[in-house]
Amino acid sequence: MPHNAAIVGGGLTEWGERDATWKDLAQEAGKATFDDVDGIEPADVEGLFVGAVQPERFAFQSHVAPMVAELLGIDVNGMLARTELACASGQAALRYAWLAIAAGQLDVALVLGVEKMNIDREHMPEIQSNMTNVLDREFDGVNGLNGPSYFAQYAQRHMEEHGTTQEQLAMVSAKNKSLAAETDFAHYREHVDVDDVLDSYPIAPPLRLLDCSGITDGAAGVLVVSEEKAAELGVETAAYITGSGQSCMASNSVNNIPSMTTWPQAREASQQAYEQAGIEDPLEEIDVAEVHDCFSISEIIEYEQLGFAEEGEGGQFIEDGRSELDGDVAVNPRGGLLGCGHPLGATGVCQALEVYRQFAGDVSSARQVPDDPETGLIHNLSGSASVHSVMTLARDPQ
Amino acid sequence: MTRPDHTGPKDADAPTDDLLRTDGGEHSDPPRGTITLPDEVELPRLLDFYDLQDPEHTRIHEFYDNLRAGSLTTTQCTDCDAIHFPPRVVCPECLSDDLTYTDLPHEGTLTSFTEVRGTAAIGMSDDPPFVVGVVDLGPVRLSARVDNATYDELETGDAVQLKVMDIDGPTEQDRVFYRFEPL
Repeated sequence: MPHNAAIVGGGLTEWGERDATWKDLAQEAGKATFDDVDGIEPADVEGLFVGAVQPERFAFQSHVAPMVAELLGIDVNGMLARTELACASGQAALRYAWLAIAAGQLDVALVLGVEKMNIDREHMPEIQSNMTNVLDREFDGVNGLNGPSYFAQYAQRHMEEHGTTQEQLAMVSAKNKSLAAETDFAHYREHVDVDDVLDSYPIAPPLRLLDCSGITDGAAGVLVVSEEKAAELGVETAAYITGSGQSCMASNSVNNIPSMTTWPQAREASQQAYEQAGIEDPLEEIDVAEVHDCFSISEIIEYEQLGFAEEGEGGQFIEDGRSELDGDVAVNPRGGLLGCGHPLGATGVCQALEVYRQFAGDVSSARQVPDDPETGLIHNLSGSASVHSVMTLARDPQ
Repeated sequence: MTRPDHTGPKDADAPTDDLLRTDGGEHSDPPRGTITLPDEVELPRLLDFYDLQDPEHTRIHEFYDNLRAGSLTTTQCTDCDAIHFPPRVVCPECLSDDLTYTDLPHEGTLTSFTEVRGTAAIGMSDDPPFVVGVVDLGPVRLSARVDNATYDELETGDAVQLKVMDIDGPTEQDRVFYRFEPL
């Protein structure tokens, strides 16, 4: 790219069922982000990108980017936008910040992802309606499909076609939820073993309750700057964005997605990013991967499509421990969506922040990827898994 | 900096503007009123999951008209012959808007399914548990509720047949939708 862009720090709120509004969360994460980075004040920010999926439905509020600008006292005179790409909205915001910096339009951008999802429990049908609305409402959502019932069918097909087992699904959840126990902001901080997952309620069989990520309130922010600005700041650690790809294959509804077993869009998006980053063997070259484990089956399919495992061998990949902290590629060291929860707009931003913190050695030693990780990846799927977004990161500029 | 300056006075000697109290006394109780809200809002038609199906609201009303008459149909492009689902007004293969309705099979194969056992969306929260799956009809694949069966009674590959559902809901329109059931 003409100009390199780097994440130079960030911060977040506590994640969980928060006694706080959308605006409260945005302020907490914004303050935490500026507090983390010496030398950048709100007055320095030229671009503001806010990842938010459904503030209209959960908080009855639109036009949220200027709301964030006001709350944090940012006089934006460059670019200002809210991004909505369902569960990938945070990464979409990050991607636009990267593009604006790469194009030489900005030197300093704030990327903030915010989602308030827990309204009172009596309104759970409303919460479920909101999740259903990311599908084609008229022809798919209408049938009662939502997250668990949609992804359960990928699990069923993957198990039938590739022999993936219920235990292998449970191993993903046990790994991620146990890592989240070491993550100070995570929604779920209890160690979970395979039997705990297998004993949990089959809420949308074959998926069990602990195969599913939670409904979480939270926000996260990162500051993205040009390489020149990073040098001026004299930052010790940066996470340079080295590649970014997306693919949707003209699909959204069930008839048109390319497969109900796997995600060729993830393969395509990752290949785009790898090519930009000069990565030829992702398993060998990527040290830490934050992938979209909205459900346990998702991470298994992602091992295959991101090039870590052969097609159909994702289940064996987790069983062999190859995605553990000390495995061939450390997958979801913060505990993923399964452990941290999934405040939709915040997830992609938090994944990027985790990669930055892993580079900086700024996480609990119990979840630190060993041997000074220098390359990372974030991946999000969105909606009916029709869209996949992949970004590669590295300690050093290209 | 063009933002208004909201900085307040820093010390007792600083000048105050007219909005700040200067008499040092207590406020008297302000007048009080009550805002009355309805106890409940009835399920508005816009919050249920079924679109209005008549010619005044959708250009794919023929899909619903056909279903109401007992036929499952979808659009086919008269220029490139592509068959679409969901039905369209523009062909995504060639951008032609010359489309006709073609019959779909009423029997198909259940290729995947699960059972919704948790909370379901607005308008269907009394329905769980219910089966939802993907039905392969040959020309198209669609998601659908599967009635008259539980998760444990079904296997992938099972044959299923169309069931037309009349919608009894918060509009005067005679709306319909499709489900499937084991053959």
